[in-house]
Amino acid sequence: MSERFSAFSFVDRITKLEPGIRGAGRYTIPPAVAQFPPSLVAEAVGQLAAWVSMSQLDFRRRPVAGLAGEALFLADVAPGQSLDLEVRIQSCDEEAVSYGGTASVDGTRVLQLKDCVGPMLPMEEFDAPEAVRADFETLSGAGAPPGRFKGVAAREVKVVDRAPGERLRAELRVPESAPFFGDHFPLRPVFPGTLLLDTQIELALQLAREAPPLRAVAALLVPMRVSDVKMRSFTPPGQVLELRIDLQSATAESATVGLIARANGKPVSTARVEIAPRRVS
Amino acid sequence: MQQKEITKEEIAAIFPKVAQIIADALGVETADVKPAAPLIEELGAESIDFLDLVFRLERAFGVKIPRGKIVEDARGDLAESDFEQKGVLTEAGLRRLREFLSEVPAERIKTPLKSADIPKLFTPETFCKVVIRAQRAAPASA
Repeated sequence: MSERFSAFSFVDRITKLEPGIRGAGRYTIPPAVAQFPPSLVAEAVGQLAAWVSMSQLDFRRRPVAGLAGEALFLADVAPGQSLDLEVRIQSCDEEAVSYGGTASVDGTRVLQLKDCVGPMLPMEEFDAPEAVRADFETLSGAGAPPGRFKGVAAREVKVVDRAPGERLRAELRVPESAPFFGDHFPLRPVFPGTLLLDTQIELALQLAREAPPLRAVAALLVPMRVSDVKMRSFTPPGQVLELRIDLQSATAESATVGLIARANGKPVSTARVEIAPRRVS
Repeated sequence: MQQKEITKEEIAAIFPKVAQIIADALGVETADVKPAAPLIEELGAESIDFLDLVFRLERAFGVKIPRGKIVEDARGDLAESDFEQKGVLTEAGLRRLREFLSEVPAERIKTPLKSADIPKLFTPETFCKVVIRAQRAAPASA
């Protein structure tokens, strides 16, 4: 089966579209995948915004990951659940789309994205415009077949230095090949920024669990909020990324951890994650 | 219509807020953001930072700053072909840019200057002026 429009596609159907203003869609997490981290829920909302903005620009341009002011991870999701996705476009032109959005499960909000900006680049660098237009027609009609996503293999991460509860340095070896590269993107494989973020959040969780103020609740810690995400450059297959994970502050209630990824000494991305004990309802 | 000149007092009034926004966007200390420091050369800004900056300024000041507006405003009523030829600024374009980016030392605006390199000239003061022009164009509702 082709990986295009399947291996890293997280909108099954576009259910509502007001061009240039808002869109709604649905995505069912395949029951067979082992897990579906919050970064991929954010990816699903971002992909819906991409469909709304690409259709507005007649598929001449497509957005790529750029900035996310804030992502609130409000609840975990599980394989088999359906995400109701909504986006509101704040502006969209040939240079960038700015938007916010949400994902909900059975009426309960699980994720909120605020102040996101995707730089718009020429579509033909990434995919064939006519093929993307056809996919859009599919999503706007009967929808794409469910269960296309098969999960993502564990990433190859090597911790190279650590000061427990203070900082952690690691190397992420981006694979030379993976199914998601066939979808992200068909003509130009790029390591998805949300997979990088997911890797960084996992390392930040390790670090926060060692921070003295949070040791008593280490087992309950989850990422609650990611802010100031900035993707500076594309990461191609085979790239080795240096990950710098630094505890910025910690109290008994939460920790804030700075996330920097570099390639060959140059920053690839920056972000911040807030980690806290899981709220018990 | 001739735009009223932007005064030093107007710039000084918003500079602290603009400097804080630039510091947040670039991940540098506010103290390092000097009014005349070229953002690319001295503070390491890249194109994604300019996009970030414009959206942060829009939110903070409640104004709309269309993308590409700085260069477009610099060109003013000059025809594109009078402003630049094959991507390089003409003498008239350079004169217009020196007037428009009066905060940038004139000797930095010299031929040959590619229009794609104009952002290398931008300083924090440039963005103060962008905000003031946007405020004048559509005053934020109280």
